[in-house]
Amino acid sequence: MLFNFNNLRYSLGMERKREVAVSGSVAGGEVLVVRGPSGAGKSTLLRILARLQPCIGGEAFLKGRSWREIPGTEWRSEVHYVAQKPVLFDGTVADNLALPFESRMLRGKKTFDLERAKVYLEKLLLSQPGFLRQDARTLSGGEAARLVFARALLVGPSVLLLDEPAAPLDGKSREAFYGVLSGWLNASGRAAVLVSHDGDYKYLGRFSFLDITA
Amino acid sequence: MDSSIIPISNLQLAFTVLLVLIAGGISSFLRLGLLGALVWGTVRTFVQLTLVGYALVYIFRSNNFWLVVAVITLMCYVAAKTAVKRTPNVPDYPTVLAFLSLLASTYLAGSIVTVLIISPDPWYSARIVVPIFGMILGNTMNGIALSLDRLYSEVRSRAAEIEARLTFGATPWEAVRSTVREAVRAGMTPTINSLMVVGLVSLPGMMTGQILGGADPRDAVRYQIVVMLMITAAVATGCLILVGLSYQKLFNRDGALQSFVLQSRK
Repeated sequence: MLFNFNNLRYSLGMERKREVAVSGSVAGGEVLVVRGPSGAGKSTLLRILARLQPCIGGEAFLKGRSWREIPGTEWRSEVHYVAQKPVLFDGTVADNLALPFESRMLRGKKTFDLERAKVYLEKLLLSQPGFLRQDARTLSGGEAARLVFARALLVGPSVLLLDEPAAPLDGKSREAFYGVLSGWLNASGRAAVLVSHDGDYKYLGRFSFLDITA
Repeated sequence: MDSSIIPISNLQLAFTVLLVLIAGGISSFLRLGLLGALVWGTVRTFVQLTLVGYALVYIFRSNNFWLVVAVITLMCYVAAKTAVKRTPNVPDYPTVLAFLSLLASTYLAGSIVTVLIISPDPWYSARIVVPIFGMILGNTMNGIALSLDRLYSEVRSRAAEIEARLTFGATPWEAVRSTVREAVRAGMTPTINSLMVVGLVSLPGMMTGQILGGADPRDAVRYQIVVMLMITAAVATGCLILVGLSYQKLFNRDGALQSFVLQSRK
């Protein structure tokens, strides 16, 4: 199993009184689709898997290694979380694509590849002239969502944690997004955990469901 | 140059009541609700300064090295407590960190001034050291309070960006580097600004005091230059040390942002 988590316990809601326990696993090339009503803790689960917030108990494993053995910094670049609301930094689109490589962790492993970035952007229907030089803060919601997705692919993780990535996308760009995600999953040693409200996983090849009930 | 100070007698001091009455009159006329604070503040000013006056006479007379060190360290502690209280955006901050940064920055700048520049005999002369260190502390205290408050409020408002950097594999330091820069800048800005306008907008208190005490204004100016620059150096080091000691408290053991940063302020 590429990525699995056992009995992750965390609390939710006002006063944090509701407690849930979740287990799941995803094999290479697969997508785990997390479903459940609003407020069931889907986003919280992704944040916990990314180790952006602590949980009460349980354990997650990447390629069989427990997260107890891997420092948070390293874990987060391997199990890469993309927030529901796209986070863009001051600067151009190109600046935003290169930004992850400011961290020493990433610089040690790989360098920023502008050509590869361009390929991703083109596949995501973001190849209009001058796009790389555009101010990132002026992008539309759909453009921003695809840009942060392209940036996530450049980070080069083993597992992508995507929170409603296609919500701001319409028709063609949505199809393009799933096409790129499926293509990315084809290489070995890659998997995704996807929080989704819509029925779009029909675009995906192999997937399974994780249902969280409130 | 006549270097004798004109003393203020008890009767003359009592006339300051007039000044209090003016402020109090305005306060009650406009119902500012400051009358109680004004009276209490006036009483405290009289009592605190009178006691300090006696204490300083004693300290200056004994001129004991360890007594001077103890007094300055105590001043640092009080300043640290005050600085921590003045940070509305910072919940439960340990005074000891503020104390350490004030101690280090004050002793660094203060020692350079007393040992190298003014060099009294002995170099730890209480008459020089206590007021010099006091001036440094007063300013550094304000500086670190501003820095600390800015650090927390900036991290709060830029939490999403900081978390995004963490997901790229950034260390906590890499994720908050630009915020830390903002925080140190916030602490230093008032001091740098005062370097620009000193003498143009107002005469600094220390210089005014020396001139009232009968010193040659040209000598007073030299002292003031030393004082301003030592304050700048101390504020810069104090802010840097404090922010350096503090940013890690915003992260948990996993290197992720603490939950209190992500929740709305209570």
